[in-house]
Amino acid sequence: MRLTGSARIGDTPIFKDLDLSLEAGAWTCLLGASGVGKTTVLKLFAGLDEAVTLSGHLEAPERVALMAQSDMLLPWLSALDNVVIGAKLRGDRVDLDRGKEVLSRVGLADQAARKPTALSGGQRQRVALARTLMEDRDVVLLDEPFSALDALTRAQMQDLTAELLADRTVLLITHDPLEAARLGDRIVIMTAHGLADVPVPQGRIPRALDAQDVLQTQANLLNQLRMPS
Amino acid sequence: MSLADENTPITPDAPDADELARMRQARFEKIGKWTLPVIVMVIMLVAWDRIVVLNEIPHYILPGPGLVIETLIKDWPILFDALLVTLQITLMALAVAVLGGVGLAVLFTQSRWVEMSFYPYAVILQVTPIVSIAPLIFIYVDSRLAGLLLCAWLVAFFPILSNTTLGLNSADHGLRDLFRIYGATRWQRLRYLQLPSALPYFLGGLRIAGGLSLIGAVVAEYVAGTGGIGSGLAFRILEAGYRLNIPRMFAALILIAGSGVVIFAGLSFLSHMLLRKWHESALKRDG
Repeated sequence: MRLTGSARIGDTPIFKDLDLSLEAGAWTCLLGASGVGKTTVLKLFAGLDEAVTLSGHLEAPERVALMAQSDMLLPWLSALDNVVIGAKLRGDRVDLDRGKEVLSRVGLADQAARKPTALSGGQRQRVALARTLMEDRDVVLLDEPFSALDALTRAQMQDLTAELLADRTVLLITHDPLEAARLGDRIVIMTAHGLADVPVPQGRIPRALDAQDVLQTQANLLNQLRMPS
Repeated sequence: MSLADENTPITPDAPDADELARMRQARFEKIGKWTLPVIVMVIMLVAWDRIVVLNEIPHYILPGPGLVIETLIKDWPILFDALLVTLQITLMALAVAVLGGVGLAVLFTQSRWVEMSFYPYAVILQVTPIVSIAPLIFIYVDSRLAGLLLCAWLVAFFPILSNTTLGLNSADHGLRDLFRIYGATRWQRLRYLQLPSALPYFLGGLRIAGGLSLIGAVVAEYVAGTGGIGSGLAFRILEAGYRLNIPRMFAALILIAGSGVVIFAGLSFLSHMLLRKWHESALKRDG
């Protein structure tokens, strides 16, 4: 998967001369300040680009899975029905047993019949994760999926997501340097001038929160983000 | 737990003073919601009765509440038939308003062209007072029933149209993206995303439209005047007015107001039942 070129929305330039390739089977973390066009990159990969004019080249699979900051659950459907919505919309056979199995993998076996409003923020994000797993795509796009969660829930969700989406091609958009340090097989900082690769800590993801090099990478990332561009 | 609690240890299930005050408040509100309006009504009725009796007002000018109730019972066969006629028009108009309002709203959201072409006329129909259109309707529409229905519909359909349009357009953008990623068709997006999103808005419009269709039906009966099938409650009020039968006018008025309250309560209940599982407006906050 690769995206090269420049993009604008209407007359507003979003980014220029970008060249981002995603390595298959690895997690790429895209980090950057608000407004540098991270989300536009993700939308282009997701095919949700009707407002974006791209002059360049895009290699992306036809079908991807997406998980965003808002859980994007249908409030009138139960957790289980939300998990299987993709199959329903495609007209495929709705495999409720597999839906239940996926829900139990995210620890929500008992909550399958509940509506999203009856679940906590973390539980709703687990349902969204279960739906992403249910879709079973090779490429998964994550748009700040944990940023609305409290610190403890966020750490738990990072572990769970990294475990369940291991070996998939993942693009994780994030504001959070620690998250990038924990979850990136590759970490890329996006600024108005382009992309910059950052050395990653050792070890497989999800890396330990208290590992020395993870904390060091977090500090480095924060410093680089704070540098005036 | 504050520091002051050290000297007076309390068990977790023993409510403290604040909690007791809160419970008292909640209990008071629960009882007050029903008793206060009843008390006001009793005071008003007694005052009305006293004013009539003490000033010796004749019943053809202002009947006392007792006489009105008496008339309501005595004239029940006439009034009940009239009530059925008015309710029939009201409910039919509401049903047509739902079909027309939702149908047009769906058309509007599916095609910008249709919306741009017809929305202004929907607004014009809404803002033109029905009493000024109704006489024309009864000139051109031969059937009394159809004329009455058309009037009531004109008054009732707009809140459903505008609320449902708003609801269909306010489906969450994240969810729209999701549906695009899943390759949902236009029809699927309408059926599985936009219509459920619009339901709370539609129900809000429906509650307004319920009252409006009753008003529309009553106004239309007034304009249609006597004759034809016009024997609804408004017709009975007109007729009783010509005969200076003031108690019957009041009795019919009570039935109209009562119908309005019942329609509103019924639609509120329907709304609650449909939304209580998932929509913010109907969920009880815990804490």
